[in-house]
Amino acid sequence: MNAVFVLGLAILVIGVLSVAFVRPKTYVARLINLEIPAWGLLLVMLAYDEALALLTFVAVTAISTFVIVRLMEWRDASC
Amino acid sequence: MIALYLVAAIAVFAAIRVVIERNTGRKLPYANVMNFAVAGTLVLLLDHPLSLVAAAAYFVGSTLEANAVASTYAGGVKR
Amino acid sequence: MIVALQVAFGLVALLGAVSTALTRDSYGKVISLGILVAGIVPFIVDRGYLDVAITVSLIAPVVTIFVLMAVRRAEA
Repeated sequence: MNAVFVLGLAILVIGVLSVAFVRPKTYVARLINLEIPAWGLLLVMLAYDEALALLTFVAVTAISTFVIVRLMEWRDASC
Repeated sequence: MIALYLVAAIAVFAAIRVVIERNTGRKLPYANVMNFAVAGTLVLLLDHPLSLVAAAAYFVGSTLEANAVASTYAGGVKR
Repeated sequence: MIVALQVAFGLVALLGAVSTALTRDSYGKVISLGILVAGIVPFIVDRGYLDVAITVSLIAPVVTIFVLMAVRRAEA
């Protein structure tokens, strides 16, 4: 068991629980909490040696965050 | 080798100080201290020519992020 | 990596994750997200993936600016 793998799993579990039971029950707080499992999953994927998968995952996470922000502005229900 | 431990200790101290601070405006200088300490760690961590480029990229990115948060917290661009 | 440095930056990353989960203010959440990224980047550099570290360092502020657009729209 690698230290990076264990740390990534811990951050992934913390992030999933924080997204599920978000305290200020708004869309913005849930979107910010959704960033935590993304970094935890990046750290889990770092334990296996695939550089191209890491690059693709970081880019797709940024694009999906941009899409969700535009969707929240489009629905005009961001609170 | 002592410089690496010193910079890592500064990073841990600044991170703990950011977390236990109550006022949001007072969190920003300690976040800057932690970003500079991590940028110094990235230089000293690995002997590779591209390590300097990675540290410079992290320095530029973290400074941009801290300035964006501070500018938005202070009220942003008046329209 | 040296074990002491692994413990130190793992502590920084865990502090960032827990603080992002428990803080109620939106700006406090964004600052804590920066702490989480600062704890993760030294692990990526230590494995030798310097191109991945450069990409993460340049994309993380862009994501933060995207989130700040939604935060400013929600606060106003």
